[in-house]
Amino acid sequence: MNGWHLDEATVTRYAHGRVTMAVAASVEAHLLACAPCRALLTPAVDLARLRSLWDDVAERVDTPAPGLVERLLRLARIPEDTSRLLASTPSLRASWLLALGAVLGFAALASEADERGTLLFLTLAPILPVVGVATAFHRRLDPAHEIGLAAPYPAFRLLLLRSAAVVGVTSLAAAGASLLLAGPALAAAAWLLPALALTSLTLALSRRFDIVHVACGVGAGWAAAVAGAQIEGGRFAAFGTAGQLACLLVTVASLLALVAYRDRYATPLGGA
Amino acid sequence: MAEPVEVFHVRKTFRRTVALAGADFTAGRGVTGLLGPNGAGKTTLLRMLATVLAPASGRLRLLGLDPAMPAERLAIRRRLGYLPQEPGFHRGMTVFEFVDYVAILKELTDRRARHAEVRRVLNEVGLAPVSGKRIRAVSGGMRRRVALAQALLGEPELVILDEPTAGLDPELRLRFREIVSRIGEERTVVLSTHQTEDVAAVCQRVVVLHHGRSLFAGTPAALIEQAAGRVWLDAERSPTAQLAWRNGDGLVRNIGGAPAGAELAAPTLEDAYLLLVGDRAMAVTA
Repeated sequence: MNGWHLDEATVTRYAHGRVTMAVAASVEAHLLACAPCRALLTPAVDLARLRSLWDDVAERVDTPAPGLVERLLRLARIPEDTSRLLASTPSLRASWLLALGAVLGFAALASEADERGTLLFLTLAPILPVVGVATAFHRRLDPAHEIGLAAPYPAFRLLLLRSAAVVGVTSLAAAGASLLLAGPALAAAAWLLPALALTSLTLALSRRFDIVHVACGVGAGWAAAVAGAQIEGGRFAAFGTAGQLACLLVTVASLLALVAYRDRYATPLGGA
Repeated sequence: MAEPVEVFHVRKTFRRTVALAGADFTAGRGVTGLLGPNGAGKTTLLRMLATVLAPASGRLRLLGLDPAMPAERLAIRRRLGYLPQEPGFHRGMTVFEFVDYVAILKELTDRRARHAEVRRVLNEVGLAPVSGKRIRAVSGGMRRRVALAQALLGEPELVILDEPTAGLDPELRLRFREIVSRIGEERTVVLSTHQTEDVAAVCQRVVVLHHGRSLFAGTPAALIEQAAGRVWLDAERSPTAQLAWRNGDGLVRNIGGAPAGAELAAPTLEDAYLLLVGDRAMAVTA
């Protein structure tokens, strides 16, 4: 007891948040030591407001701090929940991105030596998004795969979102690395259509087969096609007009197949 | 009135291994326990109830819907909570972040409402004080509770729990029983376990699975009733007993065909279960 008490009007104003900071601090200091004034305050408190304030406090305390990838995605105006789902994609983690940068950087630098280095880069760059997409969806690489499978989130939407993010990030890295590429500027972009073709083909085939098996098959098929074209028509034959047209056709056909069978991806089942 | 879970002659084979060879049971509101030895088909059956695995044949109805139909499967998933046998975690996430991540997968998109729901389930399993800790830094028991918390998001009508008490110390097991029992008061819970004590403690119905078949489906009391007159105490092991072990008080508890004049004992759920799974139980305990 400190000899004075709060008047009812002040208590009511305080309870409704209508006092200055200085008065609020003074009231709170007094309330800590004065049981009769606390008793006066209790009925004056607006419970809905109190609950709302408490929710605000809990929200501030609990809201997770977003990581680097999530922050970048939010900067790109991607909604908070979608950013969270994308940021948890295995092939968008920092370790994967570093490895991706290293592989592309070394391949680009190898092009300084001779044309074989450029061919290595152009062959490798389209395979990397395929590996990224396979990593994003393989059940053994996603620790919460089984939990996610039983959840109602639209699987086709998740497939497209994560694939687009992986292809986008990988393509940006490849585009950056291609600036280091020796040779004509046009050659530096020759990997782009093959990358889209291989990735969309992998996604389309994943409806029927394990995505890692598909990725291995598509990667091996692509390497064989580049080698075959090299024997037939010269070192960069696979990246010429005919090759680019073939890649465009594969991309369009695969995307059409994806859209046509989107319902099959909607509520997937797990394996053994 | 259809029960929330109806399983009719469900079969499943993985290559040459028969996981389910015609399981049948129904489960209503309350807690139903699937009891059976390793390899009995419990996890396969629960994965089917969680809509992540399709049966090779037979019929399954969940919440009145057919999980074989994509649209109905989606509708079931919206009303379902699932704790897998080996739940995986993004170990770099905090407890709150992981449950929040699953909440997004459960279509809780409004951030404030979602976070409030995450707080609610973390409170329910007693994890609110460690919600900011990274999953890699918390104990195995706490991870199990994280997995349970995500299964409770959105107050699902059907909750599937695959061995929720496996590997937990006695105190945590009691805590789990309390939580599961509370959930089962308003919803349908189907859980699997090796522990007859768990079934006796919280389940209103029990299904005994063995070699992929359901040997028994009914109340724990009805299962115990099957062992009446087949459990007796003696100074020595009886040659007519299927199983016998010496109690802490020095007497041998024999279960099987009781000889005339034997001092019969009140059977427990464990006795009845051991009698039911018979040869398999003897092989395990030998």
